[in-house]
Formats: sequence, structure tokens, C-alpha cells
Amino acid sequence: MKIKFLLAAFLVASALSLGLMANASSSKDAAKDSAAPTVSAQQSALNESMHVEGEKRFHSNCGRCHAAPPKFPPRMMTTIVRHMRVRATITDQDMRLILRYMTE
Amino acid sequence: MMCSNVRWPRKVAQAGLLGLFIFISLRVHAQDDGIQLDGFKPVPILTGSTAYFTRVTAGQYQDAPSVSPLLLLPLGDKWLVEAKGSYSDTFSKNAQGDYNGTISYGMAYGQIDYIANRYMTFVAGRFTTPFNIYGERLAPNWIRALQTSPLTSPVTSGSALGGMMRGGFPGTDSLNVTYALYFSANNTHHLLATDRSTGGRLGFFLPRQRLEVGASFQQVLQADRPHSSGVFLEWQPNRAPLTVRSEYVRSSGTKGSAYWIESVYRLNQIPALRRLELVGRGEQFFAASNLSAATIKKLGALGKDTNEGDFGLNYYLRSDVRASASYGRQFVLGRDANLWTIGMTYRFVMPMLPQGGAR
Repeated sequence: MKIKFLLAAFLVASALSLGLMANASSSKDAAKDSAAPTVSAQQSALNESMHVEGEKRFHSNCGRCHAAPPKFPPRMMTTIVRHMRVRATITDQDMRLILRYMTE
Repeated sequence: MMCSNVRWPRKVAQAGLLGLFIFISLRVHAQDDGIQLDGFKPVPILTGSTAYFTRVTAGQYQDAPSVSPLLLLPLGDKWLVEAKGSYSDTFSKNAQGDYNGTISYGMAYGQIDYIANRYMTFVAGRFTTPFNIYGERLAPNWIRALQTSPLTSPVTSGSALGGMMRGGFPGTDSLNVTYALYFSANNTHHLLATDRSTGGRLGFFLPRQRLEVGASFQQVLQADRPHSSGVFLEWQPNRAPLTVRSEYVRSSGTKGSAYWIESVYRLNQIPALRRLELVGRGEQFFAASNLSAATIKKLGALGKDTNEGDFGLNYYLRSDVRASASYGRQFVLGRDANLWTIGMTYRFVMPMLPQGGAR
């Protein structure tokens, strides 16, 4: 009985770990691809789209509770966004886009 | 013998789950690259708000200056220490026409957060109970649209002392899921009192529709062991500068049930009035049934059915300075009252390093 439980726990842990590792490696590959040098026009378009997306996420997340704050220096903004990530349970992706938008 | 037979599988299962939990946390931790972006190291910040409000409640004048500082101390890429205190001095006129001051102070929260990965943050210490949205998000006086607290506030435990796991993650492209689970120990300190309790909140946020709905649960594990459940909604339509919020709370104990619905309309479309917002809130409190006369007396405001309607104006002189005024009418059996409030709030943010720790 004891061995069965340990085995089951180990198998579940292994399966989840493998899944997570596979996910991590695929996302790393994707990140590498996206980080590859591109022509400046593409980079500019990407920056513009991230700016628009960041602004959208800023208004939909932050504007739910309070008036839009001004932009603070980047290092202050990093602390504020970390605080708000915890308090308002903002997703990691939203937090990154908001931080990027607020520090541009 | 029988007991030991029952216990060991449970212990093994618990150990397995704990191991699994830590393992997953470490795996996901390994693939997360921290929240640092473009090399900006976070800097400690002192923020918070100051306020001065005059309140007239059923003819009783009160002047209340207050300050609520919040220290944010980031440690490395994953940790954050948050400590928020409050101090206020309430002056009110006594029967002789003299003003008496009553000082009150306390610690709203003092917690350490560990961002384990993109899905989970662990919190330990004293924190605001994750029940619905008012206590955690809307309560600070520079954020709340009306200075009077809603009637749902006293129905649940406002603070907890223990541990919490929380986070938010995208469920699909158009849905974010948020959650919080906590446990709290009993604390009888007069300034930091908490109940032994457990509970949590689950929320669903549709960013495109700017709609959030969710539900909360809380089980007190002491005295009469009451439980509370609640639902909440927040909606900001894309086509109008309007915010609609609502909460409903129901307690199985002596604290009854209540709901409120609030709408905030910012007059963005009128250039001369774009800094002004109009606020309206309606709410009802239903006292628990079959309460004895002694219990009603002990519960005070929570012992009688109450209806309340409030209307307010907020004017933003700057994004961090706001003037507010409101009028409310409270209907309680045999004791209706007018509630007037006027005052200002100022939200401050200052770095603890010179020039905000500029790059």
C-alpha cells in the first residue's frame, strides 16, 4: 500500500515535470526565435504593437480600481508593478507589458 | 492499531502532495526569468496617502485627519516586503461643545511576498483577507469612490495572520483566472486581532469586455465556526467612462448578509468637467434572523436591517490629489440618519534612494 502511494506520487510528479520541461523548452525556443535579429522596420512594428498592447493592459487592469497614475522612474515603477501584481493578482504577461509601457 | 492504519496512507499522501507541490514550484521557478525587465532593479518605496475629512453622521460632527504609509521593500527578483500602517485623530464635539480627539492606529498589513513563478505567489504575515474585492483593492481612501465603507465590510474577517497562496494566469486568450487561498491563526492582540479561519477567492477576468466576476468563501474555525460566502462583479464598458461594481456577502452566523452596487461615471466627454466623477451606491444589510435582544445589543449596527443610498462627487485636482464630497441617507428601524462627508486625499509616492534609484 505504502509503495503504491509513493509510486503514484512519483509518477504524477515525473509526468508533471516532463510536461513543464517540454513547455519550458518550447517557450525558450520561441523566445530565442523572437530574439533573433530582425530588420529595424519589423522591430519598430513589434515595439509599436507592444506599446499598444501595454497601454490596453494598463487601462484594463489598473483602471479598474483607480485613476491612471503618472509614469514614475523605471526603478520605482518596477517596485510598484511588483506590488500590484501581488495585490491585484495581475498575470505575469500583463505585468510585463504594463511595466514595459510604463517605463518607455 | 486501527488509527495507525488510517493515518499512514494519509501521511504518505500528504508528503507526496507536498513534495509534488515543491517540485512543481521549483520546476516552474527554473523556467521563469524573474520580473526584472530591461535591467531595472526595483527600489524601495514609501507610498500611501494622507487625508482630511469632515463627517456629519446623524448630526454628529467629526473631523478626521489621517495618514496611511505603505513601505514597499523589494529584495532581489522574487521577494517583496509590504508594511502598511494607519494613524488617525478623530475630533468630535461633546455635549459641552468642546472638541475631544480620539487617536487610533494600527497595522493594516505587514507581509512578505515570494513570487515563486508566473502562476503562484506565496504570502506570509498579516495580510488583508482575500474575500471579494473591496477590502483588498478598493478600501484605501485615495482609491475608494465613496468614503463611507459599504455595509458588507463588517460581515467577514478583514485581516488574517498566516499564509496565503495567490496568483493570476491566462486561462485562454480572452480570459484571465485569478485565485487566492489562505489560512489564518487566531490572534487576540487588541490592535492586530484575527480569527482562526481559512478561505479563498476565485475570479474570472475578461480583458476585452473589461468584466470581472468571482466568488469567495471563508470558514471561521473558532467559537461558533460561522462561514461566509460572497460573489462580486466589476465591469467597465469599453464605450463609456463608467465603472460598475457590486458585492454580495452572506454569513451563516449572527452577522447577517448584505450587498452593494456602485457606479462611477467620469465626465471625460465634457472637457471642462473631465476631472470630475459622479458616484452612486445603493446597499442593503439584512440582520440574521432569530437574534436574541442581548445579541442584537451586542452586535450594534449588525443587529438591525439597514438600507442606504449614497451619492458623491470626486474631483481630481491632479492624479494624486482628489477632493471628495458625498451625501448618504441611512434607513434603520427607528433611527434614520443623514451621512455627509467632505474632504481631500493625497497619495504620495517617494523612493527610498536618491532620484528614484535612476538607472
